[in-house]
Amino acid sequence: MNPLSERLSPPQNPDPSMWIDEAIWGHRLHDEQSPWLIYLEFLNVFMFEYSQGRAFSEAKGYNTLCYKPCKRLHLRNILFNNPKLENIRLVLANDSERWEAWFREMETAQGINNPDFRYLKKHFGRFEDFYQIVSIIRSTSLEMNSNKRWTSKFVFPYGEDCLFEDLHQNTNTNDRRFFGRTGEVLYLMLCRSRHSDELSGAIGDIMMQSGKWNNIVRCLQPDSPDAMRSERAKAFLPYKHHEAFDTLAKDWLSILRLNINPHDMIPHLVNLAGFHMVKYQLDVSRQLLERETPATVVCEIVAPKKTIVRELSCEHYQGNNSLPEQAVEYYLAGIKKADEWINAASEHDAFMKCLQVLEEKVLWPRNEGDYNGPNDPDSLMEDLRAAALKRHRRHNANIHRNYGREIGLVSKRGTNKLRYAPTDNFLKTLLLCNVPGRMALNHFLTRLSDRYGLILGEREAERILPREDFDKKAFQANSRRLEQRLASLGLLRRLSDGCAYIINPHRTGK
Amino acid sequence: MMQIEDWIRFLRKYGPIPRNDNMYDETIQRTARRYKIKPIEFKHPHQKKVIDSIISPDPVSIILTGTAGDGKTHLCRKVWGALKKDDLKGWASDDPYLNLKVLYPKDRETWPPPKERELRRVVTIHFIRDLSAWAPQDGYEWAPEKEKLLFRFCKALFDSSSDDVFLVAGNDGQLIETFERFKKRFEDIDLIQKALNAFEDLLVDDKQEKEGIRLRFFNLSRGNSSELFQLAVESFLNHDGWRGCLETNAGENEAFGPNCPIRRNFELLQTPLIHSRMTSLFELCDYNGLHVPLRQILLMLTNAILGHPDVKDRLMVPGDVPGIISAGTVSKASIYNNLFGGNLTEMRRNSITVFDYFDQFQIGYETTNRIDNILIFGEENELFSTPFKEFMTEDTFYGADEKFHAARRGYIEGTEENETATKDFMDLLISQRRGLFFKIPKASEAEFGLWKLTVFKYAGEYLDSFVDVLKSSGSVSRQIISRLVRGINRIFTGTLINNDREIFLATSGNYSQARICRILIDKISVYPSKGEKVQLKHDVLLKRVILSVYLTPDIFEDFDLNLIRYEFLSRVADEGVLPACFSRECYEDILAFKTRLLAAQKRRREAMREPPTPISELNILSLSDQGVAEENFVEVML
Repeated sequence: MNPLSERLSPPQNPDPSMWIDEAIWGHRLHDEQSPWLIYLEFLNVFMFEYSQGRAFSEAKGYNTLCYKPCKRLHLRNILFNNPKLENIRLVLANDSERWEAWFREMETAQGINNPDFRYLKKHFGRFEDFYQIVSIIRSTSLEMNSNKRWTSKFVFPYGEDCLFEDLHQNTNTNDRRFFGRTGEVLYLMLCRSRHSDELSGAIGDIMMQSGKWNNIVRCLQPDSPDAMRSERAKAFLPYKHHEAFDTLAKDWLSILRLNINPHDMIPHLVNLAGFHMVKYQLDVSRQLLERETPATVVCEIVAPKKTIVRELSCEHYQGNNSLPEQAVEYYLAGIKKADEWINAASEHDAFMKCLQVLEEKVLWPRNEGDYNGPNDPDSLMEDLRAAALKRHRRHNANIHRNYGREIGLVSKRGTNKLRYAPTDNFLKTLLLCNVPGRMALNHFLTRLSDRYGLILGEREAERILPREDFDKKAFQANSRRLEQRLASLGLLRRLSDGCAYIINPHRTGK
Repeated sequence: MMQIEDWIRFLRKYGPIPRNDNMYDETIQRTARRYKIKPIEFKHPHQKKVIDSIISPDPVSIILTGTAGDGKTHLCRKVWGALKKDDLKGWASDDPYLNLKVLYPKDRETWPPPKERELRRVVTIHFIRDLSAWAPQDGYEWAPEKEKLLFRFCKALFDSSSDDVFLVAGNDGQLIETFERFKKRFEDIDLIQKALNAFEDLLVDDKQEKEGIRLRFFNLSRGNSSELFQLAVESFLNHDGWRGCLETNAGENEAFGPNCPIRRNFELLQTPLIHSRMTSLFELCDYNGLHVPLRQILLMLTNAILGHPDVKDRLMVPGDVPGIISAGTVSKASIYNNLFGGNLTEMRRNSITVFDYFDQFQIGYETTNRIDNILIFGEENELFSTPFKEFMTEDTFYGADEKFHAARRGYIEGTEENETATKDFMDLLISQRRGLFFKIPKASEAEFGLWKLTVFKYAGEYLDSFVDVLKSSGSVSRQIISRLVRGINRIFTGTLINNDREIFLATSGNYSQARICRILIDKISVYPSKGEKVQLKHDVLLKRVILSVYLTPDIFEDFDLNLIRYEFLSRVADEGVLPACFSRECYEDILAFKTRLLAAQKRRREAMREPPTPISELNILSLSDQGVAEENFVEVML
């Protein structure tokens, strides 16, 4: 693995209370933001920048992203804050009575000055049509089955008119609860990849040409829906380059070039975004820890009973899960070992000097009450360590588990321990972005291992695992189960013993 | 005359003995010489085509691939014999590579080759008769002469003036892997890559020939198991070895005497009903894309006759017979059970392809109330006594013997509290249900619900009213087509829709793969109308039925309607639920088909160049109480 490139310096007046997780991975990877919401936040950034003609360029320098997402409160009130709609349709039979009753009801719509929904009549001849459309759009919306606040429910991203930012219930502020900037980090990653130009065109295409459904969603909104957009800035990604950015971008491009309906691409893009975030977090940790190789991920294709592969998968999961925390400790130990700290600690007013070093390096302590301990460099450092780990464990440490589960890489199926046990959908995503037409199964397995460190078959296991962990039969059985699973999804042609081809049905003939 | 003992011992070698010696052509030939018995042989269905490719004025190379026991080496030997006028001396060597120099006409047209020397050319016929034995193992050195030979092969494939012809036999995985490894040794070898690509194309697309390459490619695993079965059973039963057995005047309780289960099984295997049921099972395997190699068929036949769970290797030899008769365990040698490997341990059975495939039918485990009532209560209850008498009492060999009656009474009266007794009776029932599968006459299939004794309730209809009708270019009944369409519509919409005259293409609005799809995109007429239609086609070579949905005469999509999918769609249509015993495979396949149809529908729309309208119209599906689709148009003015 290449060593990490030089870290970029933090922006002016950053929000976080200290700059450690942020310095290592960026501002920020947020565990409460599911990969779907990462994707949506990303689209908000991308479409704004695209509309300004500067998508995927950091023209003003690194980490200067500044964008204005939409709020679309008319649309959101109709879809997600409109409990009386059904009742009005049931109780009243006359079309104009229904409309009037509903308009009256909506006078209390939230976050809009003098709410007026009469523009809808321009688009819908009958209240019934309006009702049907609302129920269909709702049925495809995101977070509908969760108990999230109405301002954190989202329309499926059919096109640019469907995008808006997450808001606090008061509808005024983005409290960064579910749009926690991970989408911004994703944007910056792709921005700094080698394929940013191609990607910009490809994503722009699917968002701009998405046609009918986007138009219908637009009809639920007034002509100029968003007068009061606010500026969002201060996103931060610490590295100018990283292999993870390029691999992610390439995988996205492969999906975007598939011969399928653009809407069907989105779940795969979401899976890949989540997966590469996890990979990025683990690989950066390992680079920081000066390990020579990227993280390895032994995957169990779920077996009916306990196998050696399952045990190894659990172990790998646990090992990888602790990497980010180790990275934080190592980062702090690095500060303590550096000349700057040693010199400061040996000076006359050691405590004040050390305090300055920390204020500069980790932007801590900044507020009153951040540090109340004795005036002694060692206590100061110890306090920082405790505070940093506590903060890390609250959010950043959960990325691997939360994203891993959301995308279908990590699971407890059949056991009580978490491990890597990819679902069919996740396997399908990997297959679609790695198989050009067709590929022999063993080549596919090698590719997954070379590219992502995913270990499923016996050859890769033998190459990578220490000898005492390797069990040929167990891994052969694992790849046989994979073969069966892929065959049952219609993605594999088995020719005879030991000869199977993976088929990417959406690339064949291209 | 051949001794019974010798013949049965020889035959045993074809069976599921620990060392399945007869899996290899070489060993069979050797054993046959030792016992002085002719091996069981018949003309392989591909034999003529293979030989004709070589014995021709302009011969081309041949690749024979397939699973172990498909007859690759056997066919190589036949070619050698055809070239050497049946002189097999050279063939007996252990070398996996052999060659012959043969004279062919220079003009590549005159046949037989002219006598004049100057009008003839010398062609080297290379036999790589066992690729895996010939090619170096992964990680080992390649001998220079082997590299040269493989290069020559690649060259010969694309050079019409070549004087080299190759016959290569190996399983498909080995073939591809050998070339992959060979390719890795050289950089930028277009020729090897070109050959490799061609092999992959031929394999994946199930083709025998490809333009621009001098090669015939025979994938013996794509053969036709039911045809192989018929050939195999005929040569198996007509083998001289049996004549010797039949002509001995064996005593009552001796081998091949009147009470001998080997004899009984041999006789039963000749009955047309058993033949036709077995052929049906193989045919259904074919239509499910499951190929049974020839050697596995012989294994099954041998096991059918010799199987008995209580003897060595679970296969009888003549010496076992008197003991079995006196122990009263003749019924355990029942051919009905042996045909499914019922005499073997579960582990052994599962490791044998043919039994593994047959196991998917679950014959013996699937049943109906009527069938079990006949078996359990048939003797006393007059409602069921006629069939009980016909199938059980009159079958004095494998029907209701003392043991069965005792176990049955124990079960009915509930006197036997212990679990072993119940299990023993259940095992007997399994065996008897299997027996019924082979005893119910064709005419009574419907009456007894024969195919309900398998997992595929619609299998009989699939063969008789679907495949056979299409084979003879007839038209399938409307009732069946309607049922299939109803099944498709139910999966496509995720509702219990009953419409069956049109295919309903619906989406959820976002993903085409969503479970419930209420937005109707289009309907395609099943019966010909304005270029739209649904057509069933039969692919004779690959044995499959294709359902083609035409959107215009040029835009259509194909769906392979194998037995599992047919069963799945029929059950969805008739029972209204997704059958739990089927994997997700069918469901996913049908959704993938919908995705393809939606893409085709888009192509049609683009081809028609429909102008954009200022109105967006959605067609939302709902169902009436009778499950009939009601379409609600919703308009949005953009």
